[in-house]
Formats: sequence, structure tokens, C-alpha cells
Amino acid sequence: MSSTTVESTPSSPRGAESRAQRSGDGTSTGPGPSFLRVLNSEFIKFRTLLSTLILLGSTVVVMVGFGALSAWGTGQFSEAAAQDPEAAARIAAQGGDLAVTVPTSGIAFAQLILGSLGVLLMSSEFTTGMARSTFAAVPRRIPAFAAKLVVVVLTSFIITAASTLVAGLVSVPILDNYGLGLDLGSSQSVKLLLVNSLYVAAVAAIGMSLGTLIRNSAGGIMSLVGLFFVAPIAFQLIPGDFFVEARKYLPGNTVDPLTAVEHVPDTLEAWQAGLVLGAWVVIPVLLAAVLLKKRDV
Amino acid sequence: MIEARGLTKVYGDKTAVAGVNFTVEAGRVTGFLGPNGAGKSTTMRMIMGLDRPTSGSVTVNGSPLTKHAAPLRDVGALLDAKAVHTSRSAYNHLLAMAATHSIPKKRVHEVIEMTGLADVARKKVGGFSLGMGQRLGIAAALLGDPQTVILDEPVNGLDPEGVVWVRNLVKYLASEGRTVFLSSHLMSEMAVTADHLIVIGRGKIIADAPIQEIITGKGQGRTRVRTDQPDRLMQLLAGTGVSVEVQERELLEVKGLDPRQIARAALDSQVLLYELTPLQASLEEAYMELTKDEVEYHSLITTGAPVEAGGK
Repeated sequence: MSSTTVESTPSSPRGAESRAQRSGDGTSTGPGPSFLRVLNSEFIKFRTLLSTLILLGSTVVVMVGFGALSAWGTGQFSEAAAQDPEAAARIAAQGGDLAVTVPTSGIAFAQLILGSLGVLLMSSEFTTGMARSTFAAVPRRIPAFAAKLVVVVLTSFIITAASTLVAGLVSVPILDNYGLGLDLGSSQSVKLLLVNSLYVAAVAAIGMSLGTLIRNSAGGIMSLVGLFFVAPIAFQLIPGDFFVEARKYLPGNTVDPLTAVEHVPDTLEAWQAGLVLGAWVVIPVLLAAVLLKKRDV
Repeated sequence: MIEARGLTKVYGDKTAVAGVNFTVEAGRVTGFLGPNGAGKSTTMRMIMGLDRPTSGSVTVNGSPLTKHAAPLRDVGALLDAKAVHTSRSAYNHLLAMAATHSIPKKRVHEVIEMTGLADVARKKVGGFSLGMGQRLGIAAALLGDPQTVILDEPVNGLDPEGVVWVRNLVKYLASEGRTVFLSSHLMSEMAVTADHLIVIGRGKIIADAPIQEIITGKGQGRTRVRTDQPDRLMQLLAGTGVSVEVQERELLEVKGLDPRQIARAALDSQVLLYELTPLQASLEEAYMELTKDEVEYHSLITTGAPVEAGGK
């Protein structure tokens, strides 16, 4: 069943007039999908979805709301404690730690929302068929994956950092009411803001990898919830030293060691926690990239 | 120019495309015909680099799409109806696609105008009718002003006006010297649109020939005749190699004689004819015949109900 085609160059007269280089094996000379162009495209895709903007807005609302609520709760607690010498002693022992974690008290919800966003941005490509357009324009695929990852990670970091800052600004006057000071410029405040924002960005990257691997929105989000919300509880409930030890290595348990003022016994060292979180990001991302390149769209 | 060499795609234990070889030449409309599951869409996805061939290769202008420096400027494709995020507007979809190749906004507006989407360009694609989705897909395919255009079932869901528009568009694109590769289930549509036909069945190429050759086969033209003296006419026409079939009381179908010979015979004997229509096998029939026996595709024997020769 061989084709009988002879190498001919059938350029019609009209074609020859209007587009001299049309026929033959010439490929176009215009700009191709460089990484920056693909990044721009992914950013356009990101900002032109209403659902994305709603999720980003929700993150800010939740973070600021929980910050304010936590400031109020912390204030109440400290007032009650002042009348109770024992409690007062406990707070004194913890120093300023009580107030300093107030701005990031909504982080568990931010990680859920932005992690889900990470899942959705990739899984929706496959569920809607958009992936065919995306990867037809960028057949090498990896640039599109990397560009989307950059958009997801950067946005998650910026939104978390910004909403932590706003939550802090809202919390300061509330805490002040109860005579509690919160210095947003202190090194511990800055550390908490940066580490938590990096952490949420990492969760979003894990989410995007899950979305790429599973290609299904519900499945991806369920896996994410399983990893960050179900596994820590399950590991606590299952008896045995193994699970006690393993629990430390769950990605959700790396933030506390990373932000601790002093190392707490029975937790990872900060550098260990950093490596563990890094591995939780790098391994799924690489796996997702390799399989995305290999699998059919 | 698209060239497939030993192109094979196996899904699990199912062979979707079984080592096909074909060439889609520039400057003409090449139709890609086959029933569902024949391997058309799989082949087109492999051309676009979306599915990886199990073995063999397919190239566009000499290299696989993954090796092209500017794929969207070389190949534009409409694959399936909606390869678009349903919550995004048509304009933003095109804008995002264009951004990957630094295609200016002006071109985005151009393809929107060209495909008649101006009124709905700012609306979410999820609310589009199938026809509108097809127009958007065609707009996306033309975005990079590509040398090669691949359209999978482009007229699917289009209104009659849209069908004619696509027909004229692909012919125009081919006349500009572009490579146009188009699949369709509407075989009658294929008959009036394509110049060359590649027929695929069960993952294998059954025919690869100019469309007229496939439709006419080997002199199997038939003629529909209406006369008020059918019995008399049948006697007049009787002869070797001639078969006459009575379809209605005054309607005959004659095989083995051309309309001129029939008219001459009737005139000589003063038999009144009030219809004399040359019939061609429809592409459906030709296709049925082709798929019936993959080996004997050279000698077409048309059977079944004929329809009028294509709308050219």
C-alpha cells in the first residue's frame, strides 16, 4: 500500500503570486513558542478565567478573615489569662509567639484553595479539551507545563504573602485593643510570611502535578485533600512507631519546624524540613513533566 | 505536505492505525474518509504531535511537528469540536493561543471576522452551539496563517450557510498553494469539496486516488429514464452488457448505455422521454464497495440505490 506520489511542487499560479514561499518544504520564519511567549500565554489563560479570580479572591478573604478572628480570639484569651496567674505564666513563656502567628492563621485554608487551583488549572485543560489546543501550539509540551507551573507558583506565593500582610495590618489594631503588640516588621513575622507563602506555593505546585498526573479535577483535589488533611490525622490514629515517625515527613508538617524560633524536640530540624518539602515538590513535578511528555494528550 | 510512513498506533490490544503510508500534497484539498473508529482522528492527532505513534512517523514539510520552530505558523488544526476551555471567551482563547507565537492582536480580530464570530467573541465558549464551536476551531486553526491546515469534521454542526463557507474556504486555501487535509463523515460533502481522497478503514488505507476516480469507478455510470412507454423502451435498449431495472411504473434505470445512446434509441422509435439523468455512484456506495473488499478496490462495482451525480 505505498503511495505513488512523486516529489512535485504543485504551486498554483495564484499561490505563486501571493505567497512565493508557501509551497515546498519551507517552514515559517515567524516567532515560535519561546518560553517567555508561552509564559505570557499561560498568564492570559490564567487571568481570563473567572473561577481563577474567584479562588484568588476567596483566599484573600479567608486569610484576612481568619487573621482578624484569630486576633480577637488571641486577645480574649490573653485577657482571661491575665486574671489567671498560671495562664499568665504560660503566655509569658511563649513570649510574643501568640500574636506573631495571627496573620498566618488562615494558612490551612489558603493551601486548600490554592492547591485546588493548582489541580484545576491543569486538570481542566484535559477535561475541557483545551489541552489539545495548548499542546498543538507547543508540541514540545514541557515549556507549556513549566510556564503554567511558574504562573501557579508565583501567583500562589504573591497572593498568600499579600493576604498575610493584609491580615497582619487588620490584626494589629485588634490585638492592640487587648494590649498585645504585633510587629509586622520583626524578623519572625517576616519569616512566617515568607515561609508560609513559599509553603502554599509548594502546595500549589504539588496540586498542579496531581492535576497533570490524574487529569481529573475531582480526583486531583481529593488526592490533595488526602495528602494534606486526611493523612496527618490517619497517621496519628494508626498505632505504631512507624507512623509517628512517618508523620513528620508529611508535607503539611514541614511548616512548623521551618518557622520555629527554637527547635522543638521530636520534630524535624529546619533544614530537614526544607529538604522534605523540597522533595515533595520536586518529585511530583518531575514525574508529572515526564509523563506529560510521554503520554498522549 | 504531510507524509505518513508506516504510521502505526496501538492502544492496548487494539490497533487504531496499522502502518499507513500516505502523502497529502500541497495545493489541493485532500479528503480523509472513513467510518467511526477507522483511525482518522488518531491519524490527525499523530500529525499534530498529540498522540505518539507506536511506530512509523508522520511529518509536516519534512519534519515531525515537535521539531518545528513555530508549529502554529506551520500547521493549524481543528481537532474535535471544542478544544477550548468552556469558561473562557472566544476572544481570550484566541488571544492566549496567539501569545505563544507572538501573533498580533490584529490577526486575532481578523480570524474572528473571517469566521463570523464577531458578535459572540466576548461570550463564554461553553454557551456556544456546535456550529459556533466549529467556527472558533477554524479560527484557531487559521490563526498562524499556516501552510498546512488540518480539519477534523469541520462541517459537523454547521448550518447550510456555514457548510458552503467551509467548502469555499478550504478550496480557497488550497488554491493559495496550502496543504489542506480534511476529514468528514458527510461523504456527499467530500464529493463536492475534496480533490483527492484517502479512504481509511480499520486502520488501513483502502484507497488513495483523485475523487472522481473513486466515484466513477470503472465505467459504471447509470442513467435514470422516465418515459410513458417503459415496455417499448426496454425492448429497444435490450442488448448485451445492458441492464434495465424498472423502479416505478414509468421510471427505468439503465446500466451499460450512456444517455446519448438511450436518447438516440428513443428518438429513432419516437418514444417520448421526459427525464434523462446520468447517475453516478454516491461516495457512500463507492465507499461501501471499497470497504467490502479491501483487496479489490481497483474494480468498483456499484450496487444499491444510486443518487444523483454530485452537486458540482
